[in-house]
Amino acid sequence: MKQLKRGNITFARASLYAFMALAVGSWAYILAGADSGLEDMFSGRAWGNAGGFLKQLMGLEDSLTDGGRPAFLDLGRWAETGKLAYRTLLMSVLAISFAGVGVLLTFLPAARNVSNGELGGNPSPALGVLYHLLRFVFAFTRAVPELVWAMVIVFVLSPGVLPGAIALGLHNYGIVGRLSAEVVENMDPGPARALRSAGAGNLQMLAYGIIPQARAQFLTYLLYRWEVVIRTTVVVGFVSAGGLGREFRLSLSFFQYTDVALIILWYLILVVAVDLLSGFLRRMVRAD
Amino acid sequence: MIWTGTPKSKGPARLLETRRLLSLVLIGALVWSLASVDWGGGIVHTGGGDAIKGFALALFPPELSPEFLKVALAASWQTVVHAVAGITLAIVIGLPLGIAASGSLGTPGRSSTALAVAVRFILAFMRSIHELVWAVLFVTAFGLSSLAVVLAIAIPYAGILGRIYSELLNDVPQGPLVALRSSGASPVRVLFYGRIPMVLTDILGYSFYRFECALRAAAIMSFVGIRGLGFEIQLSLNDLRFDEVWTLLFFLVGLVLLVDYWSSRVRRSLQS
Repeated sequence: MKQLKRGNITFARASLYAFMALAVGSWAYILAGADSGLEDMFSGRAWGNAGGFLKQLMGLEDSLTDGGRPAFLDLGRWAETGKLAYRTLLMSVLAISFAGVGVLLTFLPAARNVSNGELGGNPSPALGVLYHLLRFVFAFTRAVPELVWAMVIVFVLSPGVLPGAIALGLHNYGIVGRLSAEVVENMDPGPARALRSAGAGNLQMLAYGIIPQARAQFLTYLLYRWEVVIRTTVVVGFVSAGGLGREFRLSLSFFQYTDVALIILWYLILVVAVDLLSGFLRRMVRAD
Repeated sequence: MIWTGTPKSKGPARLLETRRLLSLVLIGALVWSLASVDWGGGIVHTGGGDAIKGFALALFPPELSPEFLKVALAASWQTVVHAVAGITLAIVIGLPLGIAASGSLGTPGRSSTALAVAVRFILAFMRSIHELVWAVLFVTAFGLSSLAVVLAIAIPYAGILGRIYSELLNDVPQGPLVALRSSGASPVRVLFYGRIPMVLTDILGYSFYRFECALRAAAIMSFVGIRGLGFEIQLSLNDLRFDEVWTLLFFLVGLVLLVDYWSSRVRRSLQS
């Protein structure tokens, strides 16, 4: 029991026990609840429904309104949904662009070593306030999920690609902003200080002392987030009416299940394509 | 750095090209996306300006009556329950899949057995589809229930965790494994006495980090109709009760930040 005396170990261990207790409590709460769905998991009817749904997705069993051949064997439907896939891709690029530009404009004062003058320059109360304000904005935008942002934004903006992109951009702004500020906090202060003492202004210090060091990691984070964003575009599309998400909802509510399958196919194509492209670009970032 | 005239592998001209090409691609993507949006009129709703004003004014003060705080607290609990159940199920599914995907049960030194490749493909498929899309599919197939939602969180998270676990298991130092093997330990023993003990803290740390993400995932599960913070936010938005929306947003942010703080402290204490 000797190693238990070290505070750190006990904290991690206590957290583990606390989490286990939480897990037991949560499962008990769910399984005891009226709508747990536990009985369904053991009832033949629910599995029969699920099997029927799967067959309808694959077009093996005619759904009520579908008639004719499955949508994913229809070239015309591929072309129509392809346009939506294009708009979905556009939404993801736009979202990452918004997040990237927003972070570029604000990540510097959000780094502690910039606001307290460690990198050179004079700390001022205003910079301190700005630091805390930006950290709060990062935390808030990050903590609110994309879908909730989208639900709020459609109150202001007309449905389309733009509100979805802004919702995704806001959430990712918080994530990439915090990571980028941490990159600056962990970077070697030498070059920036040298520039500062040689009389460089803020912009010059940013351009020659900080951006060159932080550039690769910033771009890598953005590209990683792009891979996440493309998976989330569909979900944001549910409410912001842009791209594949809206079509997915509509097809589901009209019971056109082969259309749903076609949209999932397009979705998977987009995810794989973005993963490959992002991986390629990330290798390019690392190469230079 | 002293310029020796022999850069890593490529000439200086080539390096410049990569960088210029990359910048060109990124700026091109930015311009393309901005140009493709229809910026002409009708971007803001009629009444969109009023909505912003109403939303901003509702912050002073948010709805803080005891009855509503009770609603928000109950909704937070629902969200936590789904998140915790989802992430525990994800760990239970992800750990064996991660071990299989790491290929560490096969012949030593070869990680690309047929089984490992197949499992890696399954994991990639599981995490390719967003948790809410899984939820919509499950609710359509099985009907609305807590378990459907928990499963919808668990599947993509097991896909992510499984991949990370397998990478962690593969990146362990080889020395202790060789020692175990040479003393006659079977692959299963090597796994349980060699690989897993070495990566256990990393596995715990990463799983805790994912718990924070699961919390957000659970909050938006309201979209398929399950109760929780997202559900209440949706109700309040429909009633145009923006003051209630603010309260619920602060509950959500507080919850996420709390778990974020907890998980970062756990990770720090595991590292030291």
